[in-house]
Amino acid sequence: MAKNLPKTGLISWLTTVDHKRIGIMYALGSLFFLIVGGIDAILMRTQLMVPNSTFLSGETYNGLVTMHGTTMIFLVIMPLSAAFFNYLVPLQIGAPDVAFPRLNALSFWIWLFGSLLLNTSYLVQQVPSVGWFAYANLTQKQFNPTHSVDFWILGVQVVGLASLIASINFFVTIVNMRAKGMTLLKMPLFVWTTLVTQVLLFLSLPVITVALVMISFDRTFGTGFFNPGLGGQVVMWQHLFWIFGHPEVYILILPAMGIVSEILATFARKPLFGYTVMVYSSCAIGFLGFAVWAHHMFTTGLGPWATALFSAATMLIAVPTGVKIFNWISTLWGGQIRFTTASLFAISFVAMFTFGGLSGIMHSSPVIDTQHQASYFVVAHFHYVLYGGAVMGLFGGIYYWFPKVTGRMMNEFIGKTQFWLYMIGFNLTFFPMHFLGLEGMPRRIYTYAGDQNWNFWNLCATLGAYITAVGGALFFINMLYSMIWGAKASADPWDGRTLEWSIASPPPEYNFAKLPEVSQLDDWWYKKYTHDGKRLTPPQQPVVDISSIHLPNQSFWPIFLAGGITMIATGFVVSANGVMISLIGVALTVASTYGWAYEEP
Amino acid sequence: MQQPAFDESSYKLFDVSWDAPMDTISGLTEWSRDINSVYAITTVITIFVFFAVAIPLIWTLVKFKSKGDEQTPPKQFHGNTTLEILWTVIPVVLLLFIAVPTWRILFKHAHTPEGAMQVDVIGHQWWWEFRYPQNGNIITANELHLPENTPVVFRVWSADVIHGFWVPKFGGKMDANPTAMEEDGITPKRWSVLNIVTPSVADANKKGGEMYQGQCTQLCGPSHALMRFNTVVHSKDEFESWAKTANTPPAVETTLAKAGEQVFARCQACHAITGTPSEQIPGPKIGPNLTNFGNRKYLGAGTRLNTMENLAAWLRDPASIKQGSLMPNLGLTEEEIQQVSSYVRLSTTKTY
Repeated sequence: MAKNLPKTGLISWLTTVDHKRIGIMYALGSLFFLIVGGIDAILMRTQLMVPNSTFLSGETYNGLVTMHGTTMIFLVIMPLSAAFFNYLVPLQIGAPDVAFPRLNALSFWIWLFGSLLLNTSYLVQQVPSVGWFAYANLTQKQFNPTHSVDFWILGVQVVGLASLIASINFFVTIVNMRAKGMTLLKMPLFVWTTLVTQVLLFLSLPVITVALVMISFDRTFGTGFFNPGLGGQVVMWQHLFWIFGHPEVYILILPAMGIVSEILATFARKPLFGYTVMVYSSCAIGFLGFAVWAHHMFTTGLGPWATALFSAATMLIAVPTGVKIFNWISTLWGGQIRFTTASLFAISFVAMFTFGGLSGIMHSSPVIDTQHQASYFVVAHFHYVLYGGAVMGLFGGIYYWFPKVTGRMMNEFIGKTQFWLYMIGFNLTFFPMHFLGLEGMPRRIYTYAGDQNWNFWNLCATLGAYITAVGGALFFINMLYSMIWGAKASADPWDGRTLEWSIASPPPEYNFAKLPEVSQLDDWWYKKYTHDGKRLTPPQQPVVDISSIHLPNQSFWPIFLAGGITMIATGFVVSANGVMISLIGVALTVASTYGWAYEEP
Repeated sequence: MQQPAFDESSYKLFDVSWDAPMDTISGLTEWSRDINSVYAITTVITIFVFFAVAIPLIWTLVKFKSKGDEQTPPKQFHGNTTLEILWTVIPVVLLLFIAVPTWRILFKHAHTPEGAMQVDVIGHQWWWEFRYPQNGNIITANELHLPENTPVVFRVWSADVIHGFWVPKFGGKMDANPTAMEEDGITPKRWSVLNIVTPSVADANKKGGEMYQGQCTQLCGPSHALMRFNTVVHSKDEFESWAKTANTPPAVETTLAKAGEQVFARCQACHAITGTPSEQIPGPKIGPNLTNFGNRKYLGAGTRLNTMENLAAWLRDPASIKQGSLMPNLGLTEEEIQQVSSYVRLSTTKTY
């Protein structure tokens, strides 16, 4: 059935296995959920603008807290990073596609259906309200009798499966499919951080998968893994969750670090400073990321020895991170820095991430953490890292690669306006939260009394959120505007350094007419300039007979298989006929797997 | 219909002073002062590092801004080993200045001193229970009374989901984890420990207030935000007199209160009052102990002042004040509300 499928129109997108199209779909999906998660944030900030507000109820607020966190992590930053992996990794390593193109399509559809499953909870008014960390035993049926927690468990489970599948795919792609001559230490840094991220994903996701199965069993079949009354342990959930959850933080930040490294090098027109050390730092961060999970648990009563050891490991992570920050500054040093929207976002990443890192060092000390934990100080800290850091880096990436993807430049005036609104709004929202934390405001409270000295800073934070929302609206306006009226982009509009700039914008379906050969880091740059800066004429892509290039066939099976898997999960969140729905899902899964296996690739 | 959670208080927009009811800065106990000593070191170091990053970054951006007319690209250099070693080693040294005092203080406060007074802290959705096993088994709720300058060991656990026990001015917090219970349903099998030495009453005066506010710090359900409590530090004599009152049955004298005593029979499955039949009902009580309730400053877990009006509003419909409250609307008439309020608010002596 795979042959002769249309190359344009809706069916072509549903059946595509082209990494570039899948990347675009990931990007659009995650940007849609950015709006959803942003609305959650705006509603929460509106509730907290003044004390004693009755705009939202406690339960509604808790639902927004949960969905904001879950959405921003699993439905925005992770898939937006995946969009960059998808689009760029094959181009940057000089490959025609990823190693397993149909598996790649499967990842996307599973992610999309899982995200929709999670968000269905809004429609049936059973929004999970136990926090994105879902601490046991609040997740037990006794305390949450509706299906709200099931939506969270199954949504995260399905979305996690998508990342797990994708991580194997990208790991194999990077290891096996690099262009001739591109040894590991000649890969662009973004490819390196992608590689480390995939390792983190496939080592940490199985842990949360198992933990989620355990609460599913507690809730659906009455086991007692996390029920103290039945001899279960609530702290065990925290261990399992954070063994996944802390590497997850690096899963969120490492891709952005890679993107920023590429952008800074391009706009300083210099190689990345200390490339090898950057690679080792990324690996060290990934490695240490598995040894620090209990720093989320300094107040659970682990005892002084465990606490001391985990604090030591946590402090150690500051070292490779600090090295990166100084290397980024040195990358700019001696360059010819061009201030575009992309480079502004990348520079702001360095500044904001440093700030978040420094407040992180503060509560790497467990004694300080006993005061900061669960207060607004921590809210400030991780928003500086994940929003000022990861999200700003990803925005930089969008502005940087938009011309490559669409063949049009994004509007710089709107872009810079958005950037400054973001900078002002972001800092106005999150900087005062340090003060709120020091003045003792706990996290996740839906309201507060007026006599706590928290009024002014909360008002500032809410105004900042509104300013950011305007910036966000400008971003979407800019995307639409530039897609239609943007200036035409050349193949290499930024004078880039990596292989994706050696081919047309947008790239042809087959990527490279002739697979490139690489002899050094930033190989494309040295095809344009000699080592002492003299201009060369870069080689053109040869004209070839397109029909001679083998491309994987389009396929319906990935979307069917993803539908089957999601239906199995859906059975757990409906009261009536749940078993039937799951069984139909099983049948669809088996049939699609069979069809897939016998399909001509 | 949802109501505002707290009493209307004087709303001061621009009061941002550090001396807030829950600030973490003005510590009163040795534990909180020790925390702040590490915090001070860390703050100095992080501010130093901040400038060590910000100044080179800004300088670089200004100095190497492209003029837009460069004919050749800049020199392509790849690194500098000396520099890179330098900014690996210096952070390690700086971190040691944070790590060593951290560990010293961590271990210093990990041990319970000899003869410390034991207070059991039990989190419930959404209120706090305090038990004093060494002081005549007093059980009270939402108002923690402690003698001054006394080592205290809090045994912390939860009756339902995870809560967090935190009095910021006394120092760091401790989670209240749910635990399996012994056969009696009251004694926990596991608990966490938090050691402090209480401040002196003089410190309390200096910090302008007889009560130190505390609040739950773990998301524990719809009314998580309304799970506050207050701590009162007494001179040792005053504490003794509070302890005595806390164990004295109410003296029911007025007709109103006598009628209220009858109404209270409908409350005693969940609430106990010392020296009344409510104590005879076996098993753990799921509501707060109401002995000496009239002596408490707040009701609803530190959310509203303990006045007749507020109590009446609570009794009319608990869930409208505290979403998800386990206390049902008992359908009391206005007359019954007056009677039972009068009964539970009886208090022989004001002890603070």
